Amino acid sequence: MIHLENLTKKYGEFTAVSNLNLTIPKGEIFGFIGPNGAGKTTTIKMMGGIMDPTSGSIDICGINMKDEPERAKKNIGFIPDRPYLYEKLTGMEFLRFIGNLYNVDNKSFTGKAEEKLNMFSLLSWADELIESYSHGMKQRLIMAAALLHDPEVMIVDEPMVGLDPVAVRMVKDLFKHLAGEGMTIFMSTHTLKVAEDVCDRIGVINKGVLIATGTVGELKKKSLLVDADLEDAFIKLTT
Amino acid sequence: MPGFLDDVLILLRPRFLSFKNPLVAANSKKEFYRNLFLGTAGFLFWIGIFIISLRTLKYFYRIEGLGDILVFKLLSMLVLTSFSFLIFSSILTSLSKLYLSRDLELVHSMPVSGNRIFFARWIESTADSSWMVVIYTLPVFVALGVVNKAGLFFYLNTALVLLSLSFIASGISSVLVMAAVFIIPAGRMKSILLFLGFTLFLTLFMVFRMLKPEQLVDPDVFATVVVYLDTLKAPSSPLLPSTWVYDSIKESLSGSLRSSFFHSALSWSFVSVIIFINILIADLIYRRGFSKSQTASSRVFRYKYSDFPFTGFLTGASRAFVVKEIKTFFRDQTQWSQLLLIGALVIIYVFNFSVLPLERAPIKTIYLQNLLAFLNMGLCLFVLTAVAGRFAYPAVSSERDAFWLVKASPVKIKTILWIKFFIYFLPLLILSEILIVATNIILQVDAFMMALSFISVLLIVPGIVSIGIGFGAAYPDFKSENPAQSVTSFGGLLFMMICAGYIMAVIILEAGPVYDIFMASVHQRSMTVLQWLRAVISFSIVIVISILAIILPMRFGEKGLSKVLP
Ligand SMILES: Nc1ncnc2c1ncn2[C@@H]1O[C@H](COP(=O)(O)OP(=O)(O)O)[C@@H](O)[C@H]1O
Ligand SMILES: [Mg+2]
Repeated sequence: MIHLENLTKKYGEFTAVSNLNLTIPKGEIFGFIGPNGAGKTTTIKMMGGIMDPTSGSIDICGINMKDEPERAKKNIGFIPDRPYLYEKLTGMEFLRFIGNLYNVDNKSFTGKAEEKLNMFSLLSWADELIESYSHGMKQRLIMAAALLHDPEVMIVDEPMVGLDPVAVRMVKDLFKHLAGEGMTIFMSTHTLKVAEDVCDRIGVINKGVLIATGTVGELKKKSLLVDADLEDAFIKLTT
Repeated sequence: MPGFLDDVLILLRPRFLSFKNPLVAANSKKEFYRNLFLGTAGFLFWIGIFIISLRTLKYFYRIEGLGDILVFKLLSMLVLTSFSFLIFSSILTSLSKLYLSRDLELVHSMPVSGNRIFFARWIESTADSSWMVVIYTLPVFVALGVVNKAGLFFYLNTALVLLSLSFIASGISSVLVMAAVFIIPAGRMKSILLFLGFTLFLTLFMVFRMLKPEQLVDPDVFATVVVYLDTLKAPSSPLLPSTWVYDSIKESLSGSLRSSFFHSALSWSFVSVIIFINILIADLIYRRGFSKSQTASSRVFRYKYSDFPFTGFLTGASRAFVVKEIKTFFRDQTQWSQLLLIGALVIIYVFNFSVLPLERAPIKTIYLQNLLAFLNMGLCLFVLTAVAGRFAYPAVSSERDAFWLVKASPVKIKTILWIKFFIYFLPLLILSEILIVATNIILQVDAFMMALSFISVLLIVPGIVSIGIGFGAAYPDFKSENPAQSVTSFGGLLFMMICAGYIMAVIILEAGPVYDIFMASVHQRSMTVLQWLRAVISFSIVIVISILAIILPMRFGEKGLSKVLP
């Protein structure tokens, strides 16, 4: 479903992501963890087609991002780390904007939009301007928008930042449910608990290099710590 | 007040630090050349104003008996216009500096009292709103000094007294803004801007009417020359700050230093009074007003989702952007309040034509009409360029932080640029055609000239919009607080210059053949083969460059924008 090959990004001389190789099968939740500045957001922006890689290739559902960016992006639900939106639209109008952009057909739109808003407890805010939303509400609105066109792949940068505990629980359950229905989810996080709870597999990135991949259990073993929790494993791996 | 100035200076420090010498602190070679280019262009513009002023002044002084009076009349018009301009610009700047800027939340969380924050912000706002007006009126005064062989005192006094004028304008504006924010209920910032915008419109219009510019060129309307001279000499109201400034400059020019000094002192003492009043008022209401202004404007009425009228035929991305762009535009005060300004500009423009004393002109009327129609076409297109600079040029920058959405969407950058092109093309085309047809009707031009202007505008408007969208996309500014101001940047300057070049090229290409056609019809003979050839070639070139002007800038913008990171 997602295939990254020798993915590299340089900002001038500085290499932010170096030679990343990854394959994520359909229906898997993949957690991308690493300390601040490791290169997670950079990788995610390249996967979302927001930024071109310096070299290497990205395939989404077998479609190459460089060759057919529009077709590849149609299959992606993209959620960035900072919820910047059009502040002067209402939640509902924003969904309509996204719906038009992704060619969601008009007949099913209203039903879908209301369902998603309800799912993220935003229905009563549907007709308020986004500028009056809180950070967490904007984050939830972006998630609702990203799911509107039933993407096959979800790419999420730090999904839990700014959400309250109820929303965190809801998002975790939602991700598991969506993956169960066949959606592939790639999420970055530095909250290890989240990674441990939801992810089928985890990749650890540090200074732009992927240093380990595997299930939580495998990673714990790799760090040669018996009975350690993921936090210890993480600190051991990245220092 | 112990420590007042210390606190104010600390609050201003971030601003000083980011204001390094743009040539020394340039981060890259590219930036260096960019700044150098901007600086040179600005300097040349200054010199241009200076030379034009010098020539105009010399011309006026040659008119026996009347010259002196005319010069002083012009001077007082200049001071009054600058003053109203300063007030207008500082109303907008102080509203944004005191209540709307993004960094205000941070500043207000600091342990500093409200009136100190106010004062630091007010200084910044004064500088921001007035430096351009002051710098670009200076060459006129320098020219005046040069022509009159004035001494050093004249230049020093003029600079200082103009400075006092900007302080006064800024002080008056901030009192108005603070009072408006305080009086008008929370969540009605929109209404405030409507109110301020409307006041401004009226002020501009009144000032313009007070100046009665058409009387300068038309002494006939006065019964006798004596009455005419008297009107010119009539002093302006002694209560207006601009009068003190004008008097001070006038007296220093004629060498009466004491009298000049008196008026300067009057002006500066008013500065201290207005600052004192401002600090008092700020102490009372600034912080409360700021806290009030935090309420988002949504609660005025709910935006129940509705399908937008007239957009039913659009689908997909074009529908998405058309609806978004229109709604955001009308909900964003900083955007639509500019419409008022443009309205004022247009009315003043058309009005100017209606008062031209065409009947009394000594030259043959048809000839003059055609000349004016040509001039009018050029002016209309320059007005259009200014409007496009306000709306089409910032079209891409106005995506601001939400630009990632555009990049992540399954739509080509090219498609989005063309959608934006059409969103701005239609209204701008309608505006310019109305302008050109209305003014041509007032000028009573013949059918040929009417058709020619109509078609030329039809050809040129898409080019100008395309240059606006294209250069706005190639040099986007997603970080600025007010995207409408992005036209003052490097890319905006390029946009203005290229548009000016394009318009002039078309007018020059058309002027020759039109003259031939016109002369042929006046003398009732047919044009020679050579003249026909020239006409065909000229008009063909106009069509070719117009097509290029539509295609090339959009390509340039697409290339540039593809490289930009959100
Ligand atoms: N636009 C940029 N220009 C230059 N360097 C950048 C840019 N964006 C990120 N970086 C650098 O790349 C590295 C990786 O950043 P990022 O991908 O944002 O890390 P994170 O894993 O925290 O999301 C950091 O060292 C950061 O400083
Ligand atoms: Mg990040």
